[in-house]
Amino acid sequence: MLLLDYQNVLIQSVLTERFSGAPPVSIDQTVSDFDGVIFHISTPETKTKIQVSIQIRCFQDLLRYGAKEVLNREYGPYVVPPEPGFDFSILVDLENLPAEQEARDELVKKISLLKRNAMAAPFEQAYQEHYHLKQEAAKFTTEEAPQGVREGGEVKAIHYREEEAIYVKASHDRVTVIFSTIFREETDRVFGKVFIQEFVDARRRAIQNAPQVLFRNDPPLELQGVPGVKNTGTGEIGYVTFVLFPRHLTPQRMPDVISHIQTFRDYFHYHIKASKAYIHSRMRRRTADFLQVLRRARPDNEEKERKTASGRTFKVGA
Amino acid sequence: MSQSLRPYLQAVRSSLTAALCLSNFASQTAERHNVPEVEARTSPEVLLTPLTIARNENERVLIEPSINSIRISIKIKQADEIEHILVHKFTRFLTQRAESFFILRRKPIKGYDISFLITNFHTEEMLKHKLVDFIIQFMEEVDKEISEMKLFLNARARFVAESFLTPFD
Repeated sequence: MLLLDYQNVLIQSVLTERFSGAPPVSIDQTVSDFDGVIFHISTPETKTKIQVSIQIRCFQDLLRYGAKEVLNREYGPYVVPPEPGFDFSILVDLENLPAEQEARDELVKKISLLKRNAMAAPFEQAYQEHYHLKQEAAKFTTEEAPQGVREGGEVKAIHYREEEAIYVKASHDRVTVIFSTIFREETDRVFGKVFIQEFVDARRRAIQNAPQVLFRNDPPLELQGVPGVKNTGTGEIGYVTFVLFPRHLTPQRMPDVISHIQTFRDYFHYHIKASKAYIHSRMRRRTADFLQVLRRARPDNEEKERKTASGRTFKVGA
Repeated sequence: MSQSLRPYLQAVRSSLTAALCLSNFASQTAERHNVPEVEARTSPEVLLTPLTIARNENERVLIEPSINSIRISIKIKQADEIEHILVHKFTRFLTQRAESFFILRRKPIKGYDISFLITNFHTEEMLKHKLVDFIIQFMEEVDKEISEMKLFLNARARFVAESFLTPFD
């Protein structure tokens, strides 16, 4: 399991079980996901009506970039007013499920992608903006283009964690996605640097068509003047920039690219942690080896008790 | 083993063997105490001249002999930030297990990464040449381990980055 899944596996398994035709039971389950996202699966009224609610830290940001429309498009008939304490809720009636198995699986899949769909809104908006700007830009040569077209759209900031944010900016020939990441610990910072360096180099070496990846410790030029971006100068915060080129921006590839790029931060940190764990276990093994070597220094002169064939015992000195 | 490592380790081995000539010696300043003189530093006449063996500016060994104890401090090569972190983690890992290592000092001497303290009680219990073997093997393997871990980290990072970017292709 190298790449992370886009959907929430726990929601998927709970719903698959419920939709399989098993007798309805009451559910009250809290499910957490990456980035402090919390789901609540419950049956508030009757056992046959399952409500799934989601709480996202940056929901206000997302609403500003059209999350409402995206969620209504995805979950149209199931949307209900949000449960108190949560940002968005859907209600599925078990007695009104689609008849075919495929359609049911499709629905399960869709619900388990709730977080992904909510977070996708700013990206989709950036895609639309890019198409628009591209049309505009086609009318001009590079030099003549009016200010707005040349510079691209505004920067969309999604503050999805306490100190970290994703910034998305569309322009006529690319969409730029910037992740700000913070490293609390020196070790993480160094490991992160090694990993990021490989992301930067991968395009040069193996995968020519991948998005360009850039890394720097001070805010990139795109983020100048964006509220909340400050240069601490300590190198604690890093900015990872993905530049999506027109080949990634076709409408057919949009859903996959959006899903995939959302998992970047979790994927990145997951592998840093995994490497640390491996190195830790390796050190443990090596320490055991050293102990073995040291133990050899101790002469084994304990007296051994021996038996003769007739059963008498006697002691042999070393 | 590289060309310059062999004479370096050979020099450490001979110096250690010579220095590990310890005898029981009770403290001259406190009655009924018997402490490692190299640590206590209360009687200068029982301390011997410290010796540094350096392979280059980043790798060296300091041997501080005394009448009843000897202190060996090792500075491990750290070429860059990653090696620095790995050495730090590894030595911390070892010193936290100092209890089972008997001769390991809980805290390294300033300017070094790891220190050992061998007293006459250790040499009485354990075979002297095997103790020297242990120190030498430690020095040999620690470098190897650090560079292997570094290689692993780079290989993993490369693999991880490529598999993340492949779906975009």
